[in-house]
Amino acid sequence: MTSPRRAFSSAVPSDCWYALSPSDAVGRDLLAVRTVAGPVVLYRTEADAVVALEDRCAHRPYPLSAGSLDGDAVRCGLCGFVYDAGGQCISVPTQPRVPFGASVAAYPVDERDGVVWVWLGEPGRARLHRVPDLPWLTGPGWATVGATEEVAAGFLLLHENFADVTQVPFVAPEIAPAVLEGTPPPLDVVVTETTVELHRRFPPAPMPAWQAGLVDGSHRDLATVQAGFFVSPALWVDHWDVVAEDGPVARLRFTHLITPVDEGRSRLHWRVSRDFALGDAAADTQMRELFADYYARVRIAMELTQAVIDTDGPGPEVNVGADVAGLRVREIVLAMLADEGVVPLRTRPTT
Amino acid sequence: MTETRTTLREHEGDLVVEAVDHVAEDVVALTLVDPDGDALPPWTPGAHVDLLLGDGLVRQYSLCSDPADSRVIRVGVLRAPDGRGGSAYVHEQLTVGSTVRVRGPRNHFSFVASPRYVFVAGGIGITPLLPMMAEAEAAGADWHLWYGGRTRSSMAFVDELAAYGDRVTLVPQDESGILDLGAILGAPRADTLVYVCGPEGLLTAVEATCESGWAPGSLHLERFAAKETEAPAGGERSFELVLASSGVTLTVPPDRSVFDVIQDAGISVLGSCHEGICGTCEQLVLEGEVDHRDSVLNEAEQAANDAMMVCVSRCRSDRLVLDL
Repeated sequence: MTSPRRAFSSAVPSDCWYALSPSDAVGRDLLAVRTVAGPVVLYRTEADAVVALEDRCAHRPYPLSAGSLDGDAVRCGLCGFVYDAGGQCISVPTQPRVPFGASVAAYPVDERDGVVWVWLGEPGRARLHRVPDLPWLTGPGWATVGATEEVAAGFLLLHENFADVTQVPFVAPEIAPAVLEGTPPPLDVVVTETTVELHRRFPPAPMPAWQAGLVDGSHRDLATVQAGFFVSPALWVDHWDVVAEDGPVARLRFTHLITPVDEGRSRLHWRVSRDFALGDAAADTQMRELFADYYARVRIAMELTQAVIDTDGPGPEVNVGADVAGLRVREIVLAMLADEGVVPLRTRPTT
Repeated sequence: MTETRTTLREHEGDLVVEAVDHVAEDVVALTLVDPDGDALPPWTPGAHVDLLLGDGLVRQYSLCSDPADSRVIRVGVLRAPDGRGGSAYVHEQLTVGSTVRVRGPRNHFSFVASPRYVFVAGGIGITPLLPMMAEAEAAGADWHLWYGGRTRSSMAFVDELAAYGDRVTLVPQDESGILDLGAILGAPRADTLVYVCGPEGLLTAVEATCESGWAPGSLHLERFAAKETEAPAGGERSFELVLASSGVTLTVPPDRSVFDVIQDAGISVLGSCHEGICGTCEQLVLEGEVDHRDSVLNEAEQAANDAMMVCVSRCRSDRLVLDL
């Protein structure tokens, strides 16, 4: 049974920095990205700053992304209206004066760690929210592989999946570390107003075969320390550290950039970073293939779940103790939606 | 598979006092930082933290810094001569370099988006409203603050408020009398939210003023001290407690709280003030008629009977079922 305060919601908070694209996909070509706030066009100025504008000409419904760049401005490919990087229309071809109020929305942008973060909410509030730091994505001492999955499932389903790592052996048995096969050790869940962390320490066990081949000293049975972080609706991070008595032997960082497209679809930019087998191209290929397969399975599982919700609704559900992290994520998301005035402050039973 | 033990707790850590500023008569502002310079947890306007001051002394203080600043948090503390030791400890024992244990942040004074706000502060109740006003300003909302205090010199953060110009009206009682709530609130407006924090007298007066005409949900207030509640005539009674997710049935005797009985059963539950003011131990109610004794939920929220503070609230019916 689930109470209304923890009810599943498909609505998406706007007041959040979302990862709209990897940095390397944004350049001097116009890139169209579908978001919960509507269509967005991304490009770089001549000074290399990323611009995010509403991807719809103010004149007629035509995507600006189908137009062209003129310096730092973008020209509509249908009517020739030109917009500067702030979204202001600066010229139209048929008259000397620019129509009063002709503009498209310009969204605040922050680029760091190889990720283009865009604020889709009320622009004035962007400054009050932090952009996450993900130093392992581009920092020295780490190697990262990744790709993007289009998932026909809501963002919250993905978070709830990542909040419960005990699902891994069921979703992808061959990838699961041996440590996940036994009874899970105690789970420590730490919450703040807007975040959830979970911590668990698995007893010494063999590494999974794929990892053992890449790590020196992998013949020993070593403990694994797992930590999971709900940072915001846009981000779930997992740490998997194989540790010996004198410190970590092999560290993995799983970065899940979860970007809602609408209430039932999401874009998952996944990244797997490792601090071992650096500069090993074969290891890159092996990990890319292995985890592409894993995240494809996650996608299929979440799409099946979303299909059940779409057909028969989200409830009823049975919760167990291990669901506490996922349920707390729901509470945080509902509180964010309440702050935005999307749902009532305390969600009531509908009866 | 045997049962996995899950513990749920709030973020807690030792912070260092970076600055102690005397911001008004009997009011200090403490600026706290992580000793290693690590980022502090994010929070939103209206949030508060627990300061764990030793010997079981735990006090709640609203955050009054910039939520965008991950390096520091700031709290304002009024020295209450008849207080319960928390404020005296802060004023007498904490200096630059002191270590203090901090739990949270959490937020039960949530700041809801609106085109227009009326803020009413009484004395040290200004603290949670400071980040709210900054956000209202950033979002381009229309707002006004009415700030009452004993005397001008007793009112904290007036220098920071000066930046807002005529959006702020200071009402020192010895110069201008008490806050005229009828005039301040004016005619009820559908586009306006009212945020109030201050002494109990101010809160009950605003509640009474808002009863006529303001839509439910317009008024948001936070209490710093527990509301007076009466024990039922004939004494406390015993009732059955069912924890639905955990699958256990317990009995709450007359002399034990629901919180204590849950903890004794080895089930992890958050708690902090044990007085029904901080909102940490809120649990979802699936069945049973709750006897609310807390100061967190407003009348409508209590009447909805879907949530309760298990540290103080009890049950009028024979069976209480929680989603835990």
